[in-house]
Parts: sequence; structure tokens; C-alpha cells
Amino acid sequence: MAGEKQRTVKVIKEKRTISDEVKANIKHYNKMKKLIKEALKEGPKTIPEIARATELPAHEATYYVMSMRKYGDVVTGEIDDMDEYFYYHLNQKN
Amino acid sequence: MENEVLTYDALVVGGGIAGEETALNLAKMDYKVLLVEKELSIGGKMILLSKVFPTLDCAACITTPKVSETARHPNITIFTGSEVKGIEKKGERNFEARILRNPRYVKEDACTGCQECELVCPVVVKDQYQYNLVGRKAVFVPFSIANPRIAAIDIENCSLCGACEKACPSDAIDFTQEPEEKTYQFKSVVVATGYKLFDPIKMPRYGYGKYKNIVTSMQMERELAPTRPFNTVLRPGDGKMPDNLAYVLCTGSRDHTVGNPICSQVCCMYSIKQAQLLLGSLPMADVTIYYLHIRSFGKGFNEFYETAKGMGVEFVKGKIGKISEKENGNLVLRYDDIDTGQVKEAEHDMVVLSVGILANDEIGPVFKTQKLEFDDYRYVKQVDELKRPAMTNIDGVYVAGAASGPMDIPDSILSAGAASSEAASYLAEVE
Repeated sequence: MAGEKQRTVKVIKEKRTISDEVKANIKHYNKMKKLIKEALKEGPKTIPEIARATELPAHEATYYVMSMRKYGDVVTGEIDDMDEYFYYHLNQKN
Repeated sequence: MENEVLTYDALVVGGGIAGEETALNLAKMDYKVLLVEKELSIGGKMILLSKVFPTLDCAACITTPKVSETARHPNITIFTGSEVKGIEKKGERNFEARILRNPRYVKEDACTGCQECELVCPVVVKDQYQYNLVGRKAVFVPFSIANPRIAAIDIENCSLCGACEKACPSDAIDFTQEPEEKTYQFKSVVVATGYKLFDPIKMPRYGYGKYKNIVTSMQMERELAPTRPFNTVLRPGDGKMPDNLAYVLCTGSRDHTVGNPICSQVCCMYSIKQAQLLLGSLPMADVTIYYLHIRSFGKGFNEFYETAKGMGVEFVKGKIGKISEKENGNLVLRYDDIDTGQVKEAEHDMVVLSVGILANDEIGPVFKTQKLEFDDYRYVKQVDELKRPAMTNIDGVYVAGAASGPMDIPDSILSAGAASSEAASYLAEVE
């Protein structure tokens, strides 16, 4: 009964439109997620390594990796030999 | 809503620790209370803290039983995500208030808080409850110990894709909800609207917002909390585990240049608390606190300060002039060493700005017929501060907690006790 379940969103769609900002934000997040996942396919990486691989500023890489970690796309691994940076890897359960 | 109660004994504005305490005290005296909170959960700022000083008790362990008791008390009705739009005094023990209930787009009685909706939502925006350190979805449970633990849809950022509605196992998503404004009658009002935090972006010389490894004390509080945004304490600039942290006290307090000349009362102690917690979390770390004066005036506070010193926290009596960033993300603090009179520089890999407390004066325009008076610093004016500190200039309107001035948690609870006693006496008076 998926059709019935979607009925209330149809009601609000008649009243509201999605802003360009929201659309751009979704596109951007998905792009970042894809980039980070690609980078981590090769193996676990620290945030500076992810930043280098994706050419993202390190603070943005931190934000996206931590958001992906929150929603289970990424998991935290071991800390590096200098006890400075954690390695992050893809969640194999996903 | 059929059979909805439109008349209450007391309106409590604000669902932080002071508002909850006030509501509970009045409810236990058998008064009917309506508690209105603008956020999606009650609990205020305390529910987001890691631990409390000087006992280092877990903040959530103290506040969540009170939050639950408030939420379950039969004499208390709670409106979250709601705003008081106008209060008119019509006579003795007769207030009329317009209250706007914003829609959650989620049926409160159907949502189980399972978060299945969050998993399928494609939108990620900054999480205001984690002070922007991490993202959240457009449909979200505010935080794990929120009360009510019910999802809400941030409609401004929603893509209207309907994925949440499809995924919800209890058919709780309801995009047909509309804002609802109604008028309610009260016999008394308690203002428990708390405080705001100073935004350090107003002090460009400290570089907050520009240098990514400078955080506010509330952001550090979240990093230290069990429900934290990262797996441990990390620099937001590059995910490094910091090992040399600095605290800059009096950021935006005791400072005429930013319009807040008063002491925030809690910044010294919460910084000392966080320093102790950091040494527990990062045992190899060095923590330096730059201060003007340490104000550890409460019960057990000075001992707590001495404990921090004993644990190795370094205290430097110095006024920070400027913070600059090095290429590796480390921060250089240029400061006036007050003890030696010399200007010095020190390098740290993370800086915490211990931000001050500001008045939340948003309640001002809400009072329509009789103006609520504020003091010189925009806190609710206590007209008889020594003898009846909960009294305001409007008969029947009382103030609780940090709405009347900066204060810590025990003082907020004491203040709420006073406000509820005053309100109860007022309610019990015979016209």
C-alpha cells in the first residue's frame, strides 16, 4: 500500500516548492559522500588523507566523514602510530 | 483537538531546568500548569551538557529524571516547538496568552522515535543540537535523550521526497499539519526563558569561524558528552586528537567593548570542569587556562579549582590580544602576561573560547498590556531583589532561573523554587 502511504506529502507539495538551496545542498552532500566513499574503497584513511584524496578542505572532510559516521556509512578504526589521527573505513554492513 | 483545556493556573515560559522545576513544584501543589518550550525538547541547555561542576555528576543523569517527571505529571501540559506570541493582563489572576504551536509534521501519539525516517532522508544540514559540528537529517529526533523523543521535520530544508513517509513503520508522518494559534487563560505567569550564549564571531581578533580549530565552550561540551558528535575529542579542522589545548576565559563577558560588562558566573567553573574532563579523556594532553581572575565562589568550587591545578592544568593570568593560525592548523595566542607585565606568545593545537552569558530578552515584546521591565543588562528586572527575588514589575508574573541574570544550575533550581512559591501564594490569595 505504498501509494496510500505517500498521500500527505502530495498535499504539502501542492502548497510548497523545494528551494534551489535545498536541491543544491542535497546534490552537494551526495557528491561529497560519493567522493569520500571512493577514497575509502582503497582502504582506511585518516581525515587529512581523505582530504588529500578528495581535494576537500580538511575541516569539510571532518564534517562529512563525521556525518557519514553518524549515519553508519563510515566507522572509526585504529589510531595512527603517532596517536594523532584515527583511520576511518567504510561500513561493510552497508 | 476536542476537550482541549484552555484554562490553566500557571503559564511557565521556558522548559529548561528552571521552567521544569517551577512547573513541577506548582503541579505538586495541585495547580494546573502549561509549559511552553520553543525547542523540540524540554531540558534546556543542561540536557546537552557533559557533566556538572563541582561534583562531576553526569548532567543527563541528573536532568533526565526531572525531565521525565515533568513530562509525565498529570497536572502539567507541555507544548514543545511552540511560542508565546502575546500575553495580556486582563485583571487580577487573569492573563490571556496567545500560543503558537508549530507543526512537527509528525503525529506525536504515533511516533515511536525509531529513527527509520532519518535513515532514508536524503537531506543533511548542520545539527544545531551538536552546535554545527556534525550534520543531521531534515527529519530527525533532536538528540538521543530528547523529551519527547519524537521526530520532527525541518520543513525549510525538507526535499518533500516523501521517503520518510514511506519508511515510517507507524504511519506517523503527517505533512498536512498546520501551525495552530490559540488563546489560553492563566492566573499567573512564570518567565523561565534562560539565557543566550555570546557569539564569538563578534570578536574577530580571536578568529572564531575563520580558524577551524577554535571552538566555543558549548562545542567542547558536546565533544565531551556521551552523545557526542565525534568518537572522541577531535579538532574540527582536521580530525586530529589534540594534545595541547588552551581556554580563553571571559570571551564576551566582563568586556565593555562587546557590550557585556558583567561576569557570567559560570565560565570559570565550566572551563575548569572541562579541563578536568579533557585530562580524563586525553591523559597525555596539556591544558592551559588563560584567565583574568578565577571566580570560584560557590560551595566546593575553590577545592575543585585546586584539584584541577593538582591534576596539571596550567593557569596563566593573561589577557589574550590576538589569535592567529599556523599552516598546520595550530593556533598562536598573543597575550599580556599580567604577572610579569610582558607580552608573550604560546602555541596550542586547539583553542576553546569560554563564551559568556547574555540575556534572552525575547520575552519583552510578548507582554502587551503591561510592559515587562528589564534591568540594565536586559535581564528580567527583579523589583525586590533581596526580599522577593522572583517578583517582576507585573503583579502575578514571576521570573525563574537565568532569565533574571547569569547563574549556575543549583542557583537556577533555587530561583525556580522561589518563583513557584511566589506564584503559589499569588494563586492561593483570595480576591
